[in-house]
Amino acid sequence: MKCDEAKKTMPLFLYGELSFEEEERLETHIDECADCRAALARDKALFKSMDAAETAPSQELLEQCRADLHLRLAHAQPEHAGFWNKLRDGFTVRFHFAGFAQPLGAVAMLILGFAAARMTPGSLLGPWQTAGVAEPATSQVRYVESGAPGQVRIVVDETRQRVLSGRVDDQAIQRLLLTAAKDSSDPGLRVESVDLLKNRSQSAEVRQALLYALQHDSNAGVRLKALDGLKDFADDPETRKTLTQVLLKDDNPGVRTQVIDLLIPHRSNAMVGALQELMMKEDNDYIRMRCQKALHEMNASVETY
Amino acid sequence: MAQAAVRMDEPDLIRAAQQGDQRAFEQLVRLHDQNVLRLALNMLRSPEDAHDIYQEAFLRVYKNLHTFRFDCSFHTWLYRIVTNLCLDALRKRKVRREENTVVETSDGPLDRLDTLEEARPDGNPERRLSSRQVGKKIQECLAELTPRERAVFEMRHYQGLRLRAIGEILGTSEEAAKNCLFRATQKMRAALGDFV
Repeated sequence: MKCDEAKKTMPLFLYGELSFEEEERLETHIDECADCRAALARDKALFKSMDAAETAPSQELLEQCRADLHLRLAHAQPEHAGFWNKLRDGFTVRFHFAGFAQPLGAVAMLILGFAAARMTPGSLLGPWQTAGVAEPATSQVRYVESGAPGQVRIVVDETRQRVLSGRVDDQAIQRLLLTAAKDSSDPGLRVESVDLLKNRSQSAEVRQALLYALQHDSNAGVRLKALDGLKDFADDPETRKTLTQVLLKDDNPGVRTQVIDLLIPHRSNAMVGALQELMMKEDNDYIRMRCQKALHEMNASVETY
Repeated sequence: MAQAAVRMDEPDLIRAAQQGDQRAFEQLVRLHDQNVLRLALNMLRSPEDAHDIYQEAFLRVYKNLHTFRFDCSFHTWLYRIVTNLCLDALRKRKVRREENTVVETSDGPLDRLDTLEEARPDGNPERRLSSRQVGKKIQECLAELTPRERAVFEMRHYQGLRLRAIGEILGTSEEAAKNCLFRATQKMRAALGDFV
């Protein structure tokens, strides 16, 4: 191997992208050539410098991306899914080997649709027929039981949806939002509800809900919204007590950072103690730096004794 | 339901998501999203753009997951979407010319060059200057790579993907990806040779 070729293959060697034979040839050459050994050392140093130039996304950005995606998914629909997907796939597979069968499949689907419409009992279709845009209804088959030959008994759950509109400060609307803010099954619903409630934190009931969400909600996006709603009450003793607890136990660095931002302007002994305690266990460099800076500004010791 | 989803492996999550299970889809997202965000951030060097790529990529996956037939790995399929979006963004927004080493953080503007790791943490000012200069040159050099060279370099150097996988993601051969990487490293070597 010549020096030119050796130098050309060095980056690929460092990436482990050479074949066994190519590696052997390069290593043999390097053993014999001081110039190429030096060149390889330079390439290694270059790679090390490039390693340091990588930018890692912050946990806060990642959480924001996840929360935003969750909300957008709630409004997005797959191009097609579920039953219709399966039905289409079923026809696709069944008629895959016969070109002439596709029109036949289309006719079969038409017949199926016509038959289903003719044979479905009116009582089941009733709600669907009467439901308007404002009152859509959903049905779910809960239980199926075979009876006499050719007979079946089906239990259907029907849920009628209602659309309520009103001002956010309306008591009835606010009660629904407070309930939705605690809905354990849907974080997206909680994020939107808390987002709407956060500007109503002058109400004691709303404030309690925000404090509850901040302490107990499993979704960091919801907790961040709740914190946003509490920012005007950062000097309120109850709020500060909760913020201090959250600072020490919340596992999300974004939440902890925002709590520090809310606590710092209103110094108290309890807060200084909490920051000192946090310094002892915090592993996030950025938060440690913020904490340290805040303690210095308050002329408080960074460590406890 | 959520607990059941946690125990699922990737193919099960994909199948469940294809049937419209949003929880399964979000579990699937979490298997890959940190690397997706890292790739977008490193390619576009802007948290806002990386956020947009993240949203657009996973929404596209969500909407088109029914077309995924397991004839390549999900990772390859996902990265194909992400890299295409990043390449489009690099071309359309001319990020190469707008490149800036200063990014906005919650604590105000931060020059990413200041975060570069010191080769020797001995506080030697000359050494620190040199490290800073190297960091600046690296950013300038990355900005000068073509979008495709940059994509290959980011995926090989920072994501650790094999050239064969990169070729598959970019819809090209392993050999073409290798040439691309070679050109990228040659440019880096030429630009940074005096600094390391």
